[in-house]
Amino acid sequence: MTFINYVAREINCKIVYYGPGLGGKTTNLQYVYQITSAENKGKLISLATETERTLFFDFLPIEFGQIRGFRTRFHLYTVPGQVFYDSSRKLILKGVDGVVFVADSQEERMDANLESISNLEDNLKEQGFDLAKIPYVLQLNKRDLPGILPVEELKRQLQVKGEPCIEAVAPQGIGVLPTLKAVARQVLVELRKSA
Amino acid sequence: MSSPTFGLHELEFQRIQAILSKMRRELRAELVLLISRSGQPIVISGSSENIDCTALSSLAAANLAATDGLANIVGEREFSVLVHQGRQRSLFISDLMKRFSLVLVFDATASSGLVRYKCKHTSLLIEDVIRDYQRRIEKTEPVSSLPQFSDAELEELLGS
Ligand SMILES: Nc1nc2c(ncn2[C@@H]2O[C@H](COP(=O)(O)OP(=O)(O)OP(=O)(O)O)[C@@H](O)[C@H]2O)c(=O)[nH]1
Ligand SMILES: [Mg+2]
Repeated sequence: MTFINYVAREINCKIVYYGPGLGGKTTNLQYVYQITSAENKGKLISLATETERTLFFDFLPIEFGQIRGFRTRFHLYTVPGQVFYDSSRKLILKGVDGVVFVADSQEERMDANLESISNLEDNLKEQGFDLAKIPYVLQLNKRDLPGILPVEELKRQLQVKGEPCIEAVAPQGIGVLPTLKAVARQVLVELRKSA
Repeated sequence: MSSPTFGLHELEFQRIQAILSKMRRELRAELVLLISRSGQPIVISGSSENIDCTALSSLAAANLAATDGLANIVGEREFSVLVHQGRQRSLFISDLMKRFSLVLVFDATASSGLVRYKCKHTSLLIEDVIRDYQRRIEKTEPVSSLPQFSDAELEELLGS
């Protein structure tokens, strides 16, 4: 749910990073946290297992600056990618304004990517959203590893609606900000339309 | 379709702020927040210097959502109220119209029964404000317009 505070002049939006386990969702947020200056970010909260797998979610509030005198704030969340945490994933999607799908480019993770996209579609539907209509960006992560599929192949299999498709190496920050900005742009354009 | 947008305007802000402040004084609570179920703080009453309200709101909403999930599993429709009792501070989280939630940080020695009672009362008052607001938007022209930024302004904000 986009929340516009006309009193404090703020636009607040919720972005969820979705995708298969170990795909790099948490790493995306960690990188955004690292490079964002202190006044433009809040605490990074990670509810994780002792082996650093996301158990419930990561949360990072950031601010991009002002547009027409309104501060634009984005609440970034990741879901746990592991299949058996499905009930947690559903909860995190509540009130979502935009989704980033972090795909793992390694050939052996293709099935996991496909399973996760189909799971995303189902869970969005359950919350009353349509993947075909919600602001959405596809990130092809782990481009630095051997044994990855070509971009064209990944796009062919994973793109659902001609969404922006961004290559990334999340630990090095490659593609991380472009992904975030691409989804933020769509969310704000949606918001403008609803005016 | 994306989520419905919720706008907070001066009139509602003032009314909600007054309701929350009254409850906070009556309960001698440290902090009272109205948050959205998606985890955003909407109106805050009290001293938030030592408490990160953004993080608190996000975790409280997630906590409430997880508790709803638990309720479903054991065949309850909902556990509408959550109390976390600490040694110095306690936390109270309750649902409000399924779209919002009230969050209270209060002294652990206070009676949680009284907190629960006041919260219920306060929730009803806030529901009235929200209903009035909805009526107002339906009847009249848009209460105030969304910022109509241009593509160029958007690119400037997100500049690469
Ligand atoms: N080589 C390489 N490693 C990566 C990349 N992105 C993430 N990793 C590593 O992959 C591992 C898992 O990354 P996470 O960000 O924790 O994955 P996640 O998607 O949050 O996983 P879950 O929380 O289980 O859903 C970590 O060790 C990361 O350092 C990448 O682009 N290249
Ligand atoms: Mg993770």
